[in-house]
Amino acid sequence: MFVFRIDSGSGVPPYLQLVQQVRQAVLLGFLKHGDRLPLIREVAETVAINPNTVAKAYRQLEQEGLVTGRPGTGTFVNETPAATISPATYTSLQRGLETWLGRARAAGLDEQAINALFTAAVNQAKNENIA
Amino acid sequence: MTWLTWRQHRAEVYALGLLVAVIGAFLLAVGLQMHSLFPGGAGQCLGADLSETCSTAIRRLNEEHGYASKMLNLFSLVPFLIGAFFGAPLVARELEAGTWQFALTQSVPRMRWLAVKLGALGLATALLTGVFSALITWYRQPIDVLDGRFGADAFDLEGLVPAGHGLFAFAAATAAGAVLRRSLPALAVALGAFLAVRVFVMGWLRPNYQEPHRLVELVAADDPADPGNPRMSTGSHLDWTISTGYVDSSGRPLSLYDSVMMYSAAEKQGVKFSAYLHERGVQQWIEYQPAERFWTFQLVETAIFTGLAAALLALVVWRFKRRVF
Amino acid sequence: MTATEYALRTDGLGKRYRKVWALRDCSLAVPAGRVTALVGPNGAGKSTFLRLVVGLLAPTTGSVEVLGQSPATNTPQVLSRIGFLAQDHPLYKHFTVAELLRLGCSCNLRFDQGLAERRLARLEIPLDRKAGALSGGQQAQVALALALAKRPDLLVLDEPMASLDPVARLEFLQALMGAVAADGMTVLFSSHVVPELERVCDHLIVLNHSRVTLAGDIDTLVGEHRLLVGPRTTTDVDKAGTVVEATHSERHTTLLVRDGGLPAAPGWQASPVGLEDLVLAYLRWPARQDVEPTTMAEVPA
Repeated sequence: MFVFRIDSGSGVPPYLQLVQQVRQAVLLGFLKHGDRLPLIREVAETVAINPNTVAKAYRQLEQEGLVTGRPGTGTFVNETPAATISPATYTSLQRGLETWLGRARAAGLDEQAINALFTAAVNQAKNENIA
Repeated sequence: MTWLTWRQHRAEVYALGLLVAVIGAFLLAVGLQMHSLFPGGAGQCLGADLSETCSTAIRRLNEEHGYASKMLNLFSLVPFLIGAFFGAPLVARELEAGTWQFALTQSVPRMRWLAVKLGALGLATALLTGVFSALITWYRQPIDVLDGRFGADAFDLEGLVPAGHGLFAFAAATAAGAVLRRSLPALAVALGAFLAVRVFVMGWLRPNYQEPHRLVELVAADDPADPGNPRMSTGSHLDWTISTGYVDSSGRPLSLYDSVMMYSAAEKQGVKFSAYLHERGVQQWIEYQPAERFWTFQLVETAIFTGLAAALLALVVWRFKRRVF
Repeated sequence: MTATEYALRTDGLGKRYRKVWALRDCSLAVPAGRVTALVGPNGAGKSTFLRLVVGLLAPTTGSVEVLGQSPATNTPQVLSRIGFLAQDHPLYKHFTVAELLRLGCSCNLRFDQGLAERRLARLEIPLDRKAGALSGGQQAQVALALALAKRPDLLVLDEPMASLDPVARLEFLQALMGAVAADGMTVLFSSHVVPELERVCDHLIVLNHSRVTLAGDIDTLVGEHRLLVGPRTTTDVDKAGTVVEATHSERHTTLLVRDGGLPAAPGWQASPVGLEDLVLAYLRWPARQDVEPTTMAEVPA
């Protein structure tokens, strides 16, 4: 069974943390097609989180097409359209980002500026249809 | 709710029950011994000429049971103990521990909670003080026959009055607890109120529940007179003498100073004091409450104390209604 | 939304102790099924508010309605729909846990003893132990189990975790959130600790100086507020929104505004504000306000 965790001090809204954890797990292949996500009640109880927040995260995951909720049985992971990547690839991509972050900091950018730059780049890539 | 009341207050029930039981056992032991002094009943030992057996019995009663009066005066605090130990924690303990918030947010409405508690513990107070009073009444039976029931060591401990005292103590302690929010200070305040009210009632109210009877007569030449107060009889030694005194022939009351002056004048003349008074037409009077008024007086006093108790409990009810906590 | 869809509704609610107002002019509504945090500094009137909600106090002014009924009527029907956990979770310390459960049975219209027993068994709390001999965390769990066994529609908790150590806090929250997920009740709890709120609450009431300064759905509130950074200004105003808090440095000004996400004025940069910063800003509100926060000073252009 998939286990969520919440970092209260991260500043990321809790529902988003849940969404990101599922995305990451799907990406890494830890969650596969047909896997059942824990029930909202189970998540609420184990993570000590508002069940409405869990429901909100599951709704968003459904909208993204990552999972399907089946009334009475639970929420299941869909067939993932994008290819999953191996943990090794994931790690190497993450390293690449960390290197880039180091350079950005060295150039004098603070976190907000880095975020702004990153968002801008993602948006631009989206517009150019390469993302 | 019934179960909760029992569970919360059973310790007090046990402790106070034990207190009454111990007192009962003691009274039974010494009482049987006392009663055995008068095999035919103390009623046979009344009047002026006593048989040999009776004078022995009365002498032994005084020698062996002379502590009874002091002991009974001490026992007059037992109704206070019973009432106050039920009453003081009733509200105060809930407020001290914060548990009132727990108790009053179950599904029992607060007024019903209060009614059950006051009812059950008030009843327990009345029952225990009733048993206590019955024990004393039995124990004192020979003394009652010989000395009457109007003394402080009898009237306050027999019949209905102990229950009235107990209920008053219960209400005073409950109300003090509701106001002070602490059990121990509530107990102390209740004791103060109890003693003050009892002294006031005993000294100022009780002699006047009914207009006292008054007897006036000329001092006889051979009366055993005494300058302080006339040795005058009402005809029954069970009556309660309120006060006595002398008036001169014109009906003017004699002060103690007057009578002492007369006493020394009589001595100077070598006349008996009573004869001296008789010659001058001095009258002696006595005000008393007849023995048969015992139950009327008991009812009046019980009504006073239960009335006070009701007023104090009304204060508690009012505070509960207002939700001052 | 009809009246019954609100678990809690207050209108002009106020409570005065002799001459001091502990709470005044409190009008708000909490929809059913929400987990609401009541936040405020100590002495802001949180306990007073909660006691008014559960019927332990009667209002001096205004009214309070729980699930469409007034808790002040104090009928068994109203009482049975509200569960309450007072501050420091007071219990009869000389009662065993089993006796506390019996108390619950004897003093409630509905009391799910089986639920409470299962809950306590899962936490390995022995039924024959006296409540006073349990740890603080266990006592809190027993008190919670008793309140939940009433199967209340509204569960009210006054500083439920204030006296608990971190492990016990987490366990308490786990139990509480599990119960919310299972029963779908509305929860209202007070706290003076701001972190931790975001994961458990979706509704917020900020109480300060005996008044409600902020109330509403958390996502909506966060969406309506943002930080604006721009050149230093103290005079110019704009009609776009209200300033909750302004901090000025020599050359620039940072404003926390409630403007519903309107485009920022030229020269100003907008960024979202986190729940914690938002709550803190409202907690720092000075005492003098006689008016609603939404009508105070306005945004500079």
